[in-house]
Amino acid sequence: MDGDTIDGRLVDAGSGLIDRRIFSDKDIFEQEMKQVFGKSWLFVGHESQIPNKGDYFTSQAGRDAVVVTRDSDGEVRVMLNVCTHRGMPVCRYDKGNAKRFTCPYHGWTFSNNGDLSGLPLSTEGYGGQLDRKKWGLIQARVTLYYGSIWATFDETVPPFEDTLGDMAVMLRDFMQGPDGEDDGLEVIDGILKFEIHSNWKFGAENNAGDLYHDVSHNSVQRVGLALSGLRGRHVWNADKHLFKTLNVAYPAGGHAARVNLYDDEQREYHPQWAVIPEVDEYFRAAHYARQERLGEKARLLNRGGIVFPNIAYNSAGRWQITMWVPRAPNRTEVWKWYFVPKNAPQKVKDTLRHYLLRYGGPSGMVEQDDIENWASAQVGAESAAANRLPMNYTLHMGQARWAWPVPWFGEGAYVDEGVSEHAQRIFYAHWAEMMGGPVSGQETGR
Amino acid sequence: MMATIGDPSRQGAAPAPTLKERVEDFLSYEGELLDERRFDEWLELFAEDARYWMPLARNVEHNNLEEEYSREQQDAAWFDEDKKTLLQRVMQLKGGDHWAEEPFSRTTHITANTRIENAAETELTVKSRFIVYVNRREGEVRLFVGKRIDVLRPVGAGFLIAKRSIFLDQSKLLFKNLTTFF
Repeated sequence: MDGDTIDGRLVDAGSGLIDRRIFSDKDIFEQEMKQVFGKSWLFVGHESQIPNKGDYFTSQAGRDAVVVTRDSDGEVRVMLNVCTHRGMPVCRYDKGNAKRFTCPYHGWTFSNNGDLSGLPLSTEGYGGQLDRKKWGLIQARVTLYYGSIWATFDETVPPFEDTLGDMAVMLRDFMQGPDGEDDGLEVIDGILKFEIHSNWKFGAENNAGDLYHDVSHNSVQRVGLALSGLRGRHVWNADKHLFKTLNVAYPAGGHAARVNLYDDEQREYHPQWAVIPEVDEYFRAAHYARQERLGEKARLLNRGGIVFPNIAYNSAGRWQITMWVPRAPNRTEVWKWYFVPKNAPQKVKDTLRHYLLRYGGPSGMVEQDDIENWASAQVGAESAAANRLPMNYTLHMGQARWAWPVPWFGEGAYVDEGVSEHAQRIFYAHWAEMMGGPVSGQETGR
Repeated sequence: MMATIGDPSRQGAAPAPTLKERVEDFLSYEGELLDERRFDEWLELFAEDARYWMPLARNVEHNNLEEEYSREQQDAAWFDEDKKTLLQRVMQLKGGDHWAEEPFSRTTHITANTRIENAAETELTVKSRFIVYVNRREGEVRLFVGKRIDVLRPVGAGFLIAKRSIFLDQSKLLFKNLTTFF
């Protein structure tokens, strides 16, 4: 066994058992930084954060700090926020507009396209010989996908669309917003950043499709959050006679979405924002516009999912992206982008903003209880005595079907219905594969 | 306690409290109610049209300070509440099933550097600093320090909070949850 291979017994996806050490072991963590994060396309932000030339923001590509710019030619760049001379961050602001970034240490200066444009003592010290092309900021490969910005520093990773595979159906739908028009979202200014003493995978796997944890959200269901005037926290028609609840996993890339698939392509709008008529009217019109635009695919209500490894999206009125930034086996920084439909009236944007802010993050009435779970699960993951017992992911095993129940989920869709840990099993099977572990069992269909 | 202010039995012995003393007393009392988990009584200190707002802080260039805090009623925020949504939060806290605060954390609210910036007949603008210490279960400690600007309305011997703006001295929240009122 070489250093790039994990023990196959750590993730036994075929039997639904996972060793707790993958959440706590330092060597495994370092290995996943290299083999999972280092070999994946990572979301770093959204184009609406940098509408103008020179706009920039700082972000994270896994553990690596990056600066994302729209350069003076209008091109989106993702560059390591590391001076090529001594490694200082060249940008120390969260956001702004700049033609260039000057390192405060020795004054190396980089244009907003990464070129080394200013070099103190260029002639006296370097004899005019320093190859400025070679010593520009380190550039990531960048893919823009319906407004979202993805990056990797690895040259061998296949193109973004290839690693996304048929998950494109879900990610594209998320980026559309309620009326089905592509690239339909814009970021609400202000990225929430917070820190959990927990392994990054707990939050990620939860968002892959844990429909089993309703008990966690009793309190917000009881109090209500949705503006429907009803109890509960969601803003969709939850009459279970009308749809199938599906865990749509894409094993080739480790991605997954949890969705409602309504039976009726022409389903009526179900008023969810009735207490604010202007907002309800927008969503009613958007509902029918989406049906018109998407046809049968409008049966999909995309609730949320994960783009492997560390990007979760929530959809269906709760447009947000959550990014897990791994810092240590037991420490994760969480970044959260909130979105609104960019063509919506201001009143709709305002209403959604209030709803979103009360839904997610450390002050969110829903996610506070999730965060408590993820931090508490870490305690068990680090228990030496409990290490004799693997984590149990056996809920609703062995019943998933390929490319079901509609062909347009894609041939790569491996789907289980109802409350199931199917999507988590797929997540960990792919994780194990990237970590060099043998992939076992029927669950992955291999 | 607020009730002791204006207590007739005290009036002969001590001079009537100044406006500043009354404000300080009010803010101390309010923190006490939170620390004693008397959330309903705490909520009664807010006006019906109250606003409660805690923006995000960002690291920005020295000449771009107007963008340091996310904009009110426009951008993301840690809190952006009215009295109705504060009530929802209180109801959530009290149910015994809000696991992020079950069991309740221990909290201590300290308010200091209170200064009345502006006193009109119907409204006062009060600046203060806060330290909020939270101890959750055994070892978890959260320490929040920052600034507040309150708009208070004099009502009888006391006040109602018409608006509270909370400026936390953290850009990245250094802790996992904000389950405490400020």
